[in-house]
Parts: sequence; C-alpha cells; structure tokens
Amino acid sequence: MTDPEFFNGIIKVLFVCVIITAAYIITTKNLISLVRAYALQSLALVLIALSLYWYEGAGILLAIAGITLIFKVIVIPYFISNVQEKIRIKRDIEFHFLSPTSSLLISLALMLLVYITLSRIVGINAVTGSAESPFFFGAVIGISLLLMGMMVTFSRKKAITKVLGYLSMENGVLLFGLFVTELPFIIEFLIIIDLVILILLTTILTVGIDSTLEEYHNRLHRFYLWEEQEESP
Amino acid sequence: MTVEFLVYGVINTLCVVLLSPLFVSLIKKVKAWSQGRQGPSVFQTYYTLAKLLKKEVIYSGNSSRIMRATPWVCISAVLVASLFVPLVFVTEPFGGIGNIILFLYLLVLVRFFMALSGLDAGSTFGGMGSSREMSISAVIEPTTIIVFAALAFVFKSMNIFDMVGTEVIAGIPVSPTLILIGISLFIILIVETSRIPVDNPETHLELTMIHEGMILEQSGRNLALMELTAAIKQTLLMALLINLIVPWGLSTTLSFAAIAVAVCLFAVKGAILSLVIGLFESSMAKMRFFRLPSLFMMAFFFSTLTIIIEVFA
Repeated sequence: MTDPEFFNGIIKVLFVCVIITAAYIITTKNLISLVRAYALQSLALVLIALSLYWYEGAGILLAIAGITLIFKVIVIPYFISNVQEKIRIKRDIEFHFLSPTSSLLISLALMLLVYITLSRIVGINAVTGSAESPFFFGAVIGISLLLMGMMVTFSRKKAITKVLGYLSMENGVLLFGLFVTELPFIIEFLIIIDLVILILLTTILTVGIDSTLEEYHNRLHRFYLWEEQEESP
Repeated sequence: MTVEFLVYGVINTLCVVLLSPLFVSLIKKVKAWSQGRQGPSVFQTYYTLAKLLKKEVIYSGNSSRIMRATPWVCISAVLVASLFVPLVFVTEPFGGIGNIILFLYLLVLVRFFMALSGLDAGSTFGGMGSSREMSISAVIEPTTIIVFAALAFVFKSMNIFDMVGTEVIAGIPVSPTLILIGISLFIILIVETSRIPVDNPETHLELTMIHEGMILEQSGRNLALMELTAAIKQTLLMALLINLIVPWGLSTTLSFAAIAVAVCLFAVKGAILSLVIGLFESSMAKMRFFRLPSLFMMAFFFSTLTIIIEVFA
C-alpha cells in the first residue's frame, strides 16, 4: 500500500531536520530561538511518528504523535518562553568545559561511536549497512540525540538551558522508542506528565536554585514572579 | 573537442562575465534597502568597471613583475574555472574540465596571487590583508575540501558536469542530505567572497579590511580585472549552490529556446540568492577574527554529517 522508497526519503529529510535543530540547540546563545528550535525538533518527531503510522498502521503511533504535539510543541515551549520573559534573560553565553564549537565536533564523534557500538550489538556490518536501515539509523540518531542533550545539560550554566538540554534528551529517548522498541503507551504518557511537572518546577527554580529560602523570596519579588497580595507571611 | 562543447564554452563564459556584476550590485542594493537608503543603481558595477577600464594604471615604485602579472593571472584562472561550472547548459565534459579538485586548485591559485600582490607593493595595509587572508584560508580550506568530498560522495562522481547532469534528470535534490550540503556551501560562499561575518566588502577601515586591503594598490584597468575576478568567483559559487539544490530549467540540449529560458531562470534564481545573501549580511554583525573558526566549524559539521548519513543510512 505504501512505497518504501518514498517513506525512506521522507524519514531521511526528517532525520536531517532533527539533527539540524540539535546542532542549533548546542550552539545558539539566544534563548528565544533555543526554545523555538526545541519546538521544531518536537514537531519533526511528530511528523516522524505520523509517517511511521502511515507506513505501519499501528494506532499507538497516532496517540504518541498526538500527545507529543500537544505537550512538546505547544504547552512546554509556551511555559518556558513565559518564564524566560519574566526573568528577562535573553542570552546564555556562559559555557562550562566545552565551547559550542568543540561540542559540535564531539557530537560528530559521539554519533560515529554510537553507530559503531550499535552495529556491533545488532550485528550489522558497519560498512555495508542493512536492508531495514532507516529503522537502525533512527536508533542511532535517537541515542546520539540523547547524548547531545546530555552534553547541553552539562556544558551550559543557566538552569533554563540545562532544562532544555534535558528536554532534548527526552526527545532522543522518544525517537529511539519510535524506531526500536515499542514503549507501552502508558509509559510515554507518564514521561510527558513528568516533563510538564519538571517545567512547572523550573518556573520556580530557574530564579532560585542556588539561593537560601529568605533570599529566594526576595528574588521572586525582583523578578516579578510573585504578586504582592498572594504573598504568604 | 566537439562543436557542442565549444558552444557551451562561449555561452557559459558570456553568461558569467555579463551576469556577475549584476549580482554584485544587487546585493549592494538589498543592503542599502535594509538600511533605509536608496542605494546605487543595479547597473552601477558595470559603469564602475567601464570607467576603470579607461583609467591609467599606476604602479608603486617598489612593486615588481608580480604586481603587473597578478590581474591577468587571476582573471584567466577564474575564467578557466568558470568553464567547470555549467550555468545554463549541461553538456558532455571534455578533457579534465569539470573536475572538482582542479576547480578548487584554480580558486586557490587566484587567492595565492592576490595575497602575493598585496605583499608586493610594500604597503602595510596590503601586507595585513594578505596575512589575514592566508590565516582564514588555512582554516577554511579543510572545510571546503570536506564539503566537496561530501558532494562527490553523494553523486558518486568527481565531475561537476556529472553532478549537475544527475540533478537535472532527477529534477529535485537527489538526496535529502543535499540540504545539509546547501548550508555548508552557503557558508563557504560567504567566506570566499569576503562577506560580512568574515570581512566587510564596503569598508576601507584599516583594522577590518581583508580583501580590500590586498587590492588597495591596484589601479585602473588592473583594478577592474581584480573586481571582475571577485565578481566571477562569487557567481561561480552561487551557480554551484543553485544548480545543485534547485536545478529546474537547466538546458541539456543545444537549442536556442531552451538556452534562453535557462538564462532567464538562472538570472532570476541568482537574483533571489543575492537577495538572501544581502539580507543575511544585513542581519549579521562582523565577527571577531578569532571567533571565525566556529562559523567554519558549522560548515564542517554539516558536511561531515552528510558523509555519515550517506554512508550509514
């Protein structure tokens, strides 16, 4: 019913989109476009899930696409950009350990490493590839995305960018799950709920993660996160 | 050599020489618009070249034969290189023409002689320009080679004619990874034509100029040749990007109508790309010299990624 050639082409384009956004998340210093890049990456995942549904016809893929669209493309980016507007930070220019340039190089090396390791595990000849290559390569991209997200998490200094790194790690898990193991839908859903809670916490923690409780109160006032009348004694 | 190839040579060279100044002034016009100015007319570069061709050539007392030979070496090398990139009409390649390695070496020859002539006149600005140009080219050269290696890998051919021919028959980019190569080629286009994040083509401020510094001592006819060289080099890189990513309309047969359509389409596509370049340049600030490698690393990353995806997926 469907043409595998065409399916491969579409999946490849979407992989390219995912990688471009991942590279952008690693290198950019502008917080607004960071959030947008994350939303675009999630959108690419939604499209991947939809084209997999079109190819395989499993209803669960449609459900995954649905919740990803609602939460990761709309709700979470909305929350983060809200926080980011309130704390009035536009750019994150502080990096630990790695500069953006060296992170890019390392992520290339990571991708190669993941490919070689996975091909050993699955038993595919590393040079010639295999018949069902888009599925295998999807797994490779998924794990690389996870590791790249981890790199963002430890190479950035601001809490809000660390959270974005964590979110893009989760995107990697989802991609891996789409192509290799079918995660039960309930677990997918719980992960999403976790993410939402995480984002809610972030709205509080971004401004106060390193402060004492008294100082934290003052900061909330300073950043206009707490209205005067709601204040507890 | 067939007759068809001779005709190809004539048409291609004419197109390159006639269209290059147009694209240069279009980019200037777009930049002027984005700054809220009227800007010079789109034919200004033609007028400037015509004026310079009539002017007398003055050489510095310290300069040697290199200064006299450089404009001619540059223009001939870049004109030969222009035969390697089919602009409007794809034919069977003849001899070594179309080989990407030779193409890269011809462009490097131009750059080498420009740097030499910058040093030759003994002015401090020329020396500074040459030194900067050489440092940048030492960093961008590996990236350029990787990008062209990725191209050769995607098309399974070392010949630009074969690549463009494959593209024309397919009608759409043959592989999605060409999007990635497109990004890399765009960065190389910006770097090689000394545009804004790397060099500012409009300034004669001693602290920032690279390309302008090297040709500061040229005058009259020689300056016109150097300007034309830079314009043609830009058109060649633009044509490479255009014909590999959006190949529609290229003519494969030797007929007047097909070629006329192809010329018009190429002019339109080139104008759109000039618009993009102009907007890109207006939206960027010039980068600090030592931050430039991170821009090149972007191109390097995407082209290496192309090779990885092509090999593995």
